[in-house]
Order: sequence, then C-alpha cells, then structure tokens
Amino acid sequence: MQTQLRQALNHLFTLSCGASVVLLVAALLLFLIPMLKKGAVAVLFRGTVEFRKMQAEQFDRGNEEALQKEIEQTAQSRQEIYAILDQFSRGIDTEKLTDEVKGLYRDYGDELRYKDTPKEQYTKLRSQAKIIRNHLLDAFESIDKTEINEYLDAVKVFEKGNSFSGTTVEKMFAVADGFQKTIQHVDLSRRGEYAEELSVVKEELYNLFGPRPEEKTPQLAMRRFGATRWDVAQKHLSFLLWQEKWVRSDDGQSMVSRKVRRDDPQYGSFSGTSLLPLFTLVEETLDISLKPRFTFYWQYFIDDSTPGHYFGGVGPEVLGTLMLTMLAMCFAVGPGVLSAAYLVEYAGDNLIVKIIRICINTLAGVPSIVYGLFGMAFFVTYVTRHPGILSAAMTLALLVLPVIIRASEEAIRAVPQTYREAAMGLGAGKFRSFITVTLPAAGPGILTGIILSLGRAAGETAPILFAGAAALAPIPDFGGKWWLQETRALSYGCYDITVGDKLAMMVPHKQFGMVMTLVMLVLCLNIVAIFVRSRMSKKLRGA
Amino acid sequence: MTESLLQRDKNDAAVEFSRPLRLSVTEDLRGFLAEKIGHATLFSITFLSVLAVMAIFYFVIQESVPFIFKGSFGESIGRLTEFLTRTGWYPQSHDNPEYGALSIIVGSLYVTLGALVVAVPVGVLAAVFLSDIAPFSLRQICKPIIEILAAIPSVAYGVFAVMIVAPWMQNTLGFTTGTNALNASLILSIMALPTIISVAEDALSAVGREVREASYGLGATRAETMLKVVIPASHSGIVAAIILGMMRAIGETMVVWMASGNASRIPSPWWDLSQSVRTLTATIAGELGEVPKNTDHFHVLFMIALLLLLFTFGLNMVSEFFMARFKKKSRGL
Repeated sequence: MQTQLRQALNHLFTLSCGASVVLLVAALLLFLIPMLKKGAVAVLFRGTVEFRKMQAEQFDRGNEEALQKEIEQTAQSRQEIYAILDQFSRGIDTEKLTDEVKGLYRDYGDELRYKDTPKEQYTKLRSQAKIIRNHLLDAFESIDKTEINEYLDAVKVFEKGNSFSGTTVEKMFAVADGFQKTIQHVDLSRRGEYAEELSVVKEELYNLFGPRPEEKTPQLAMRRFGATRWDVAQKHLSFLLWQEKWVRSDDGQSMVSRKVRRDDPQYGSFSGTSLLPLFTLVEETLDISLKPRFTFYWQYFIDDSTPGHYFGGVGPEVLGTLMLTMLAMCFAVGPGVLSAAYLVEYAGDNLIVKIIRICINTLAGVPSIVYGLFGMAFFVTYVTRHPGILSAAMTLALLVLPVIIRASEEAIRAVPQTYREAAMGLGAGKFRSFITVTLPAAGPGILTGIILSLGRAAGETAPILFAGAAALAPIPDFGGKWWLQETRALSYGCYDITVGDKLAMMVPHKQFGMVMTLVMLVLCLNIVAIFVRSRMSKKLRGA
Repeated sequence: MTESLLQRDKNDAAVEFSRPLRLSVTEDLRGFLAEKIGHATLFSITFLSVLAVMAIFYFVIQESVPFIFKGSFGESIGRLTEFLTRTGWYPQSHDNPEYGALSIIVGSLYVTLGALVVAVPVGVLAAVFLSDIAPFSLRQICKPIIEILAAIPSVAYGVFAVMIVAPWMQNTLGFTTGTNALNASLILSIMALPTIISVAEDALSAVGREVREASYGLGATRAETMLKVVIPASHSGIVAAIILGMMRAIGETMVVWMASGNASRIPSPWWDLSQSVRTLTATIAGELGEVPKNTDHFHVLFMIALLLLLFTFGLNMVSEFFMARFKKKSRGL
C-alpha cells in the first residue's frame, strides 16, 4: 500500500513536471499563432480595386491602363446603386431638397437680371417662381400625402403655362416630379427615421466605394478610397445590410433586440420603400464593383504609411529599427568582446574584478525604463544635446553591453584550454594566441551572443521612449545630420499603434501587422543564432 | 625591420636561426610596454561597465535629490514619508500636488508577486523535467522554445495582453476591465519563466550524479529524490533563479504599462486581482514624456526610478550572495 502510494505520487510528480513544460509550449503557441496569423493578414489578403487605386495614387505602383479599365468596369455597377440611392434620398432628405429649391430660385432671379428682362415681366415671373418655391417648400415640410399632392399639383399648373420653359425653373419642376414619385412608396411620418438610417447607408456605401466620381477628392488620405480589402468590404457590407432593432419577441410580450436586415419585409427600416432593391443589388454585385483579387503585399515592409497607419506599410519603422540596432551594435560589440576577453584571459581573482563582475550583473538587472531615464539625463542632455537616433542607439548599446559580455565570456571560456596551450607551445604570446586561436574558435559563440542581443535591442521600447523614438517622425534625411533626428521604430510603433493611436484602432490588421513584423524579425534572428550554435557545437564535438 | 626579416624568413628557412634568440633591450622594453599597455587598455574597457553603473546611479540620484532636499530638514523628512507611506498620487494638480507613491509601490509588488505565484512552481517543475526527466533529444527541442520565449520583445507581449488577453478576460471571464493586475501578472509570469527555468536548471544539474545515485540506492523514487535531496541541495541556486525572475518582472515596463490598467490605487479587497493597478515602471513611462524638466513632478519620477534601481540592486546583491553560496557548496560537495 505504502509502495503503491509512493509510486502514485512519483507518477504525479513526473506528470506535473511534464505538464509544466507542456504549459510553456502552449503559452508560446498561444502567443505566436494568433499574433502571426492576424499579422499575416496585413500582407496576404484579397485586395480590391480600391487597393490598387490607392497603390497607384500613393505609391505610383501598378499598371495605369489596366487600372483605368478596372475602374470603368466597376463604375457601371456602382452607378446603378447610386441611382437607386439618389432617387430615394430625394424624398427623404428634405433639407437638401429645400436648399436645392432655394438655390434654384435664387439662380432664376440672377438669370432674369442677366437677361435684362423688362421690369414688369421680371416682377411677374419672379413672383410666380416665388409661389412655386413656396409650394415646394410647403410640400417638403408636410407629412400628409394628399396635402403634398395638392401642393405639387399647384406647381404643375405653372409647368403647363409654358412661360418657364428653358429656364432654371424647369429644374424645380423636375424636383417636384421626383419628389412625387418617391413619396408614393414612403411612409412620410417616418421620414426622420429614414433620414437617420439613410445617413448610415450612405456612410457605409462611402466606406465600400469611396467618394463618388463627381465628388472632389477629400483632404484626408483615409477618406480618399473605399474598402481596399475584401475582408473590410465584407465588414462594411454587413454594417450596410444588418441593423440592430428592437422588435416584439415571438411570444408577443416583451421587446427584444435583434439583428435584422435593413430590407427585411417585416422589421427592416426600409421595408416597402424604393430603396429596397439597393441592398440585394449591393450584396450581389459587390465583387463586380470591387473586383477583389488575391494580393501579396510584400511592399508592406518597405512602404511609408498614411497617418494612423490607415494605408501603407511599416517601411520607416523597419528602417529606424535597423539603424538603431546596427548603431547600438557598433558601440557595444567592441567593448563587450574586449571586456569578456579581459575577464577570461587576464583578470585574476581580486577585489576589483569581483566589483566589475557585480557591476556587470547589476547592469544586466537595471530595469529598462531606468536606462531610458539615464539616456535622457545623460546622453540626450550632455552628449548629443538633442533626442535622436544617436542618443537612442547609445542607450540601447549600454543595455545590450552586459548581454554581449556574458555571451562572449561564455564562448571564450568554452574554448578548450588545449588550444591555448598549443598556441603558446608554438611560441605565440598571450595576446597573439588569443587573437589567432582563441578568438576564432570562440567566434561562432560570440556571434550567437551578438545576434541574440541584436534581437534584444530591436525589441526594447522603454529605453528609447525618451531618447529618440517618435511615432510620427519623418524618415531621416541622410543629407543632413540624420543621427540627431528622431526616428520611428518598430518597437515604439507597436506600442503607439495599439494604445496611442485612435485612427489605427480602426485597422486591426495594421496593428497586428506591425507586431508581426517585429516578432518575425526577432524570431529570424533567434533561429539564425540557434543554427549557428548547433553548427558550432557539432564542430566542437569534432565533426 | 621586422618586415624585411619576415621577407627573408619566407625565402630562406635557414636564416631564421641566424636571428639572435636574445631580445635587445629596446625590443624587450617594447614587448613589456605593449603587454602593460594592452593590459591597461583592456582593463579600462572592462571598467566601462563599472563606470556605467556609477553614472546611472549618479544621474538618477542627481535628478531625484531636488525632490527630497528642498527646504528644511524636517520638510525633507516629511516629503520622504509622504512619498513612501501615502497613497494620493496627484502630481499634475496645480494648487495642491500630492506625491504619495505607496499605491504605485504596492501595485508593482502585486503584479510581481502575482507573476511569481505562477512562474515559480511552473518554472522549477519545468527545470526538473529538463534536467532529470527529459531525454536528450527532447531537451534539444525544449531549449530553443525557452529561448524564443525569452527573446520575444516585451512590447509584443504587451500587444498580446491588450489585443487578445484583455478582450478575452472582459468577454469570457466577465471582468469589468480587461487591463488589470491579473492580465499583467499572467504575461509577466511568461516573461519571467525562461530566466527561472534556465538558472534553476543549471542549479539542478550542478548537483552531482552521486547524490542522486545515493538517494536512488536507498530506494527513493524519483519524486522523493528530487524533492527531498536534489532540490534542497541546490536551494541557493533556485532561490537565485527566483530572484532573477523577480527582477525581470519588477523591471518590466511595456507589458505592465499596457496591460495593468494604470489606476493608482490599492485593490480592495486585497486579493482581487481583477482590478487595475499601476506600477513604478509604468508611472515613469507614462508621465515623463509630458513633464517639463526641473519641476517637482520631474524629480519625483526620478525618485521612483531610484527606488526601482535600489530594489533591483538589492535583489541583485541577494542573488549574488545565493549564487556565491551555491558555487561554493557545489564545489565542496
């Protein structure tokens, strides 16, 4: 019994040890899989014609002629959608109609004056136009169909009079006609509700197709194009088609919130209106009017971005990170390897060396944010006098110095003593045997350490927060003093794009894309390091 | 002159022996000087690390001193006690700023200890698995996994916490906020694990084979051997591992800044980790960017940095002590 219990406990122990390693692997997978999967969407996706338009306009990329052809092809199906929308909105958006009619009236006055109409006729025509205008305005304001028809009929009387043919007033008649047609299908008492829903529909259509051809180009880059990606288009399509609505539940008692289609015959906001065909039309012709195509957007890694990373890539961030890490390595590798050499080859076991070792360990344990403070208080204030690439790189160099020292020390220590003895036996001095024998033998190990600390430097954010990283810094101007300019960096960009930037929150694929870039960079460096080390260990084993 | 000598060496091997074996005085002196100068150069380069540590301490103290030592001695003491014992943190207040960092210190301890609660058992057990249970080939696979876990940038973990863990906590677990102490602790424990595992594994492997064999010989199972013999024998190494993991957790900035919610209050009831806390590192990172230089607020942030620095320095000293003891012991065994 006792033995069985002990055996059971033993198995339990083994199991829990195994479970903790499984947990570890699970944690890694739980992290890596969603991050890489969601990030990959930034590079691999189905791009629409809007994407190709954006690429052509922002980055001068793609075939101009083919694009023009595509735009023409899509324009047709879009035009049908817009036609339905315009027809319906004439009856709903009375404010717009009111403005339009008032404008037409004013234009007519100008027209009369321009034509030098005799004064008598002018007054007559003008007063008649005024009556038409007032009838129309009354019609727009009214919610009673018969009343509206009366007003509109009164307007029509003038149309038959023929005294207005060929003038601006004809346009007013056209407005009246359109209005009469639309209100036949519209429940006028719900006009306010329609107007609200209609603005949503219009906004979503804008999100899908971008500004209309006749509209002028908006200032903001993000408003210049519609849905550039098929997944975004699908999202906006569902916003367009579905609405959240309070409906009576099946038992007929309580009201429940339910998702219903906007063109649902029973519950939809637009049931029974002339807008109804728009929804199925958009749904069915979406792939014709957007022409999605599988896109491998590798330029993501080199492209500049529009504000908030709404469009474009992470080029400046990658460039900044590369500059920072390379520069940091330039500062850190020399002192790091030499320090390691001193500690292994020359240092005895005295107090000073002990202090040095403690200091290196302390340096490795200093919180990264304190490095950031130090970088600001020393490098920025006294060395470069300006936050920029150089001060940030120096801070990072200090951060990776202990890492490099430790890795190099280990590598140099791993070189068998026999190598040194053989070199010295051939007459080489301590220095020469180190340079010609020990260092090359330890080379791959040192290289591994350097590659790993490269990854560390690329990923650290806190040290460069105050020393030269900025979210919206321009690309450094290599003609001038680029080392004094602030730069974007992947690590800081990751922070900013997820927490700081409101605009970026609308484009989660870009958020994950940037993180994926950083993680991939670090992972690649690590895999290279692991590869170098495994080759080295094979070599040391004598293969 | 040496060049010509070498030239001749190549042409005629016999000439080599015609060179006098004794060095001339100048050659001897040159060699001596080269050796000494080389030694001094290497030493001074190595000494850079010491200078760096001293510089970090100097600048952090220099910037934090104006916060404490202002006015009379009594006032200084008052400010220091306010900083350490009060919870009101309103440095931006124009009329009546308060600099009580207690809730921030407690917040740091919360997430750190929360991380250790998960990371220590898992880490030590995983270390046992790697050192005593796993076959060689499995270990070869596990090592890179741990390394990658350690190499993933903290900001990437932070994004993971904000974008994936926080919505999960809010929607599935029903917490009022997704960015809370538990979220930060979980992520920090993943980050502290690699440190704990690698140091603890070294400590476990350093305990000699004969110790294990003696235990097995007495009829102990593997669990008993590990728990009653090997782990106690390597306890100083394991303590050092835990302290190093703790240092990693307490000094971490980006994850806690993004995932802890940044509310400067002590959770009540005290065990409720689903509330937001604020840590020392996050306070510096979040506020320093907006503070004008040479104000009280600016100096108090350096005071926090000094606190952090002292924390980690103290922990480092403790871990050094345990490491040294462990090394002495394993040499003696």
